[in-house]
Amino acid sequence: MAFIEISGLIKKFAAFEALKGIDVAIEEKEFVTFLGPSGCGKTTTLRVLAGFLAPDGGLVTVDGEVMSSPNYVVPPERRRMGMVFQNYAVWPHMSVHDNVAFGLRYAKLDRRQQAARVEQILASMGLDGLEDRHPAQLSGGQQQRVALARSLVVEPSILLLDEPLSNLDAKLRERMRFELKGLQRRTGITFVYVTHDQAEAMALSDRIAVFRGGTVQQVGSPREVYERPANLFVADFMGLVNKVPGTVAGRDGETVAVDVAGHRIDAVAHRNATGASVTVAIRPEAFTFGVATEGRVNRLSGVVTEATFLGSIVDYQIDIGGLTVRVQGERRSFHPVGSEVVLGVPAAECVAMPHEAEGAELGLPSPKDAE
Amino acid sequence: MTTRGRERRRRHGRVEGSTIALGIAIALLLLIVGYPLLWLVLAALGVPAEFRLDYIAGVFARSQNYSALVNTLILAFGAGVVSVVLGVPLAWAAARTDMPFRRSLQALVALSYITPPYLTAIAYIILLGPDAGYFNRILQAVTGAPRGPIDIFSMGGVIFVIAMHVFPFTFFMTYAALRSVDASYEEAARLLGARRLGVVWRVDLPLVAPAITGGALLSAIDSMALFGPQAFLGLPAQITFLPTRIYGVIGAYPPRWAEASSLSLTLVLLTALGLLLQRGYLERRSHTTVGGRGLRLETVRLGHWKWPAIASCGAVVFLSAIAPVAVLAIAAFSKSWIAGLTPGNFTIEHFDEALFNNQIAVRGILNSFRLAGAAGVCAMIIGAAVAYIDLRTRARGRRLLDYLAILPLGLPGTVMAVGVLLAFIRPPFAIYGTIWILLVAYVARFVPLATRSANATLRQIDPSLEEAARISGATRLGALWHILLPLSRPGLAVAFLLVFIPALSELSATILLYTGGTETIAVAIYRLNDLGQLEVVAALAVFVIAVTLLVSLPLNRLAARSRITPAADVPAM
Repeated sequence: MAFIEISGLIKKFAAFEALKGIDVAIEEKEFVTFLGPSGCGKTTTLRVLAGFLAPDGGLVTVDGEVMSSPNYVVPPERRRMGMVFQNYAVWPHMSVHDNVAFGLRYAKLDRRQQAARVEQILASMGLDGLEDRHPAQLSGGQQQRVALARSLVVEPSILLLDEPLSNLDAKLRERMRFELKGLQRRTGITFVYVTHDQAEAMALSDRIAVFRGGTVQQVGSPREVYERPANLFVADFMGLVNKVPGTVAGRDGETVAVDVAGHRIDAVAHRNATGASVTVAIRPEAFTFGVATEGRVNRLSGVVTEATFLGSIVDYQIDIGGLTVRVQGERRSFHPVGSEVVLGVPAAECVAMPHEAEGAELGLPSPKDAE
Repeated sequence: MTTRGRERRRRHGRVEGSTIALGIAIALLLLIVGYPLLWLVLAALGVPAEFRLDYIAGVFARSQNYSALVNTLILAFGAGVVSVVLGVPLAWAAARTDMPFRRSLQALVALSYITPPYLTAIAYIILLGPDAGYFNRILQAVTGAPRGPIDIFSMGGVIFVIAMHVFPFTFFMTYAALRSVDASYEEAARLLGARRLGVVWRVDLPLVAPAITGGALLSAIDSMALFGPQAFLGLPAQITFLPTRIYGVIGAYPPRWAEASSLSLTLVLLTALGLLLQRGYLERRSHTTVGGRGLRLETVRLGHWKWPAIASCGAVVFLSAIAPVAVLAIAAFSKSWIAGLTPGNFTIEHFDEALFNNQIAVRGILNSFRLAGAAGVCAMIIGAAVAYIDLRTRARGRRLLDYLAILPLGLPGTVMAVGVLLAFIRPPFAIYGTIWILLVAYVARFVPLATRSANATLRQIDPSLEEAARISGATRLGALWHILLPLSRPGLAVAFLLVFIPALSELSATILLYTGGTETIAVAIYRLNDLGQLEVVAALAVFVIAVTLLVSLPLNRLAARSRITPAADVPAM
C-alpha cells in the first residue's frame, strides 16, 4: 500500500461534481504534481487531502490510517501536514518570527527548543535578519520563503503546495523551482504540488497526475506523460503537438502504418487505437530536417509556408501535401519560406491515438492550453 | 482504534459546537427581530383579544389615519424631489468640476446626515419659528411684514427640514455614479459633435439616472420614518404623519393596538415597496460601474463660473449643516435664545443644567451611554456571528440568518418599537418598564449596520489565513482567536461605532418604549422642548453633536485599516 492512497474520491458542490472518482497513489518521499487546467479538480483534491473539505465518496489514507471518508474527516490540525498557499497566507499581523513560530506552540517543545528550531529554519531559508519584519515589508519571494519556513518548521511528513509559484515573476519562479526541488531532496518530505503550468510540473516532479474535469487522465513520470500521453488531451496539455488524422493501412504488433496526406507513417499504436481511422500525435521538435539512416524513420516531404525566428529555435509551418504541420528546428540551419524540405521523424516519436471529440481541429497544430 | 474513537468524539463535539452557536444566533435574532414582527401582524388582526380582519381593512376609514397616510406620501414625494434638486447639482460640482473646496463640501454634506434630524428640526425652530426665529426677524426687518413670513411649523417646513437630512443619500449615490463614468463615453460624444453641456445632459445624466432615482427613493423612504422632525414641526400645526399618528394611537387611553399595528404594517409596506423599486434601479446602475480600474474622469473647468458655483453649493450646506449646528451652539450659550449671542447674553449655565443638574437630562445621558455601549457590543457580537456563519460555514439556514439580520434596515424605528412593545409587554418576556426593552429595540434596529460591517470585514480576510493556522496545528477556535480576531479588530470597532452613534441619540423607537427612570438623551430633549426650555435643549444638542462627531472621527481610519488582504495579489482563477 502506498504512503498516500487517494481512491474513488468524489466531491460535489451543490449540483456541480468537482471530483468524479479520483485515484492517485503517492509513495513516501515522492514529489507528485497534480497538473491540469483551472476547474479540473486538482485544488479540490489537495484541499480534501489537507482536511479542509470532506469528500462525498471515496477514501484518503495516509500510512494506512484513514484521513478522509464521507463520514469521518481528521481535522487539518491533526494531520501532521504542511501547506503552502497560492497567496502565501502569511499572517499580516505577525512578524516573520511569529509567523514561523506559530505551529510550534502546538508541538510539545520547550521554549529553548522552539527558539532553536525557528532560528535554524530561518537561516536555512535565507531569512535570517528578517525576524522582526512584518509581511508588508517583505518582497513576494521573501513571503514565499516565510510561508515555506512556517510549514516546514513543524517537520511535517507531507507538504502540500497549492500553486506556490504563480505569483512570482518569471525569473524568481525559475530560481524557486530549483530551490523547491533541492528542498524536497534534502528533507525527504513527500511533496504534493498543484499547478497548471506543465513546464513547472515537468521540472519538479517525480510523477505527474494530469487532471481534467474532475478525473485523472494519466499518472506517470514527466517523460511518460510527455512522450506516451494516455490521450490527446494529455498530449495537448503537456506541450505543443501536431494532431495528424490518418487511416490505418496495416498493423504489426505495437506498430501501425498510417496513411497521412499521401504519406505513409509508422507510428506506435496506443492501446485504444483499434479503429481504422486514428490521430497521430507528433511533437514539433521530434522532426528533423533531412533523414538519418538508422532506425525506423518516417520520411515526409513538404514546403515551408511560414518560418518564425524565435531565438533559440525556429518555428515552421510546413505543408506536407495539403496538411500543415508545425516543426521546431535549429536556429543555425534556417529554411526560408518556399523552400522544399524533407522531414524525418522516428516512428517512436509518433503515437497513433483514437480520435477525440474536443480540441481536435483536424490536422492543425493546436496551441498549448494557455492559462 | 482508541485514537479513532477519541477523534470521532472530538469531531462530534465540534459539530455540536458550531450547531449550538448557529442555534443561539438564530434564536436571538428570531427573538428580537422575528418575534416582534410576528406580534405586529397578530395585533393588527386583533390578537390576543379576538381575531378579525376589519381593523386592518378599515384602518383608513378613520379620517385622521387617512390624512396621516396622505401627508406621509406628500412628505416622501417632496423630500425625494428636493433631494434631487439639491443633491444632483452638488454631486456634479463635487465629482466633475474644478470647483474649490470640493472635499469640504463632501464633509459638510456628510455632516448634514450625521446631525440627528430632530436636532436640525429644533435648530430650525430657532431659525424659522414664526415670531422669534432669527431668519424670520431678519426677513421681517427687510420686508416690513407684521410677523415672520415663513412658518416652519407647516408641511413645507417638515419637508424642508427632512430634505436637509436626507439629500445626502442622493448626493452620495449620484457622486459615486458620476465618478464611475469613464471619460471615453464623453469624449466619444464630443467627437460626434456634442457640446460640453450637451454631454452632461445627453450622456452623463442618462448614465447616472438610475443612481439618482435610487438616491431619491432612499431619501423618500427615510423621510417617512423620521419621527423627530415630524413630531417637533408637524404636531404643533396638527399635521400628522404615520409615525406620529402611531405614537398618538398608542398614547391614547386605552392604547388602540390593532390600529397602531395596522398603521405600522402600512408603513412597512410603503418602505418595502420603495426598497424594492430602489433595488431595481440600482441593478440597472451596474453598467456604469463596470469600468473599475484604469478609470479616467473628465473634469469640467469652471473658469469664472467657479464663484457662483461655490456660492450656491455653500448656501445649501450652510442651510443643511452649518446653520443648524451654529444656531444650536448660539442658543446653548445664550441666557435667552431670543436675544441672540451678545456679550451680555452669554452664559454657560445651560450646560451646567443639561449635564449636571437637570435630573432627566443627567439620567438621559447616563442611560444613553449605557444603552449605546451595550447595544454596540451586542450588535457587534451578533453581527460577527452572523457574518462568520454566512461566510465561513456551509450551515443550512445561514441565508435565513443573514436575511433576518439585514431585515430591520427596512423597518422604521416607530414600527420596530410597536413590535417590540407588543412582544415584550407580556409574558414570557415581560421587560416593558425596564431598560432592557430599550436595549432589545436598539440591538434589533441597528444589528444590520453591525452585520454589514462585520460581513465586509470578513470578506476582506482571505480564508487561507485561517486555513494556514489550521494546518499548522490550530483548532477552529484557535484560528478564530489567533488569526481572525486580531485581523478583524478594526472592522469590529467600526461595527461597534456604527451602532453606538445612532443609538446614542435614538428617538423614534425610544419615545414609545421609555418609562420613568429609563429616559435617554433624546427623551430629555423631547420633554424639555415640550416645556419650552430651548436653551437647555440646545445645550444637550450641542453635547450630542459633539460626542457624535468625536466618535465618528476614528471611523474613516478604522475602515481603512480593516481592509486586510494577504500581501500577495491573488489573480482571479
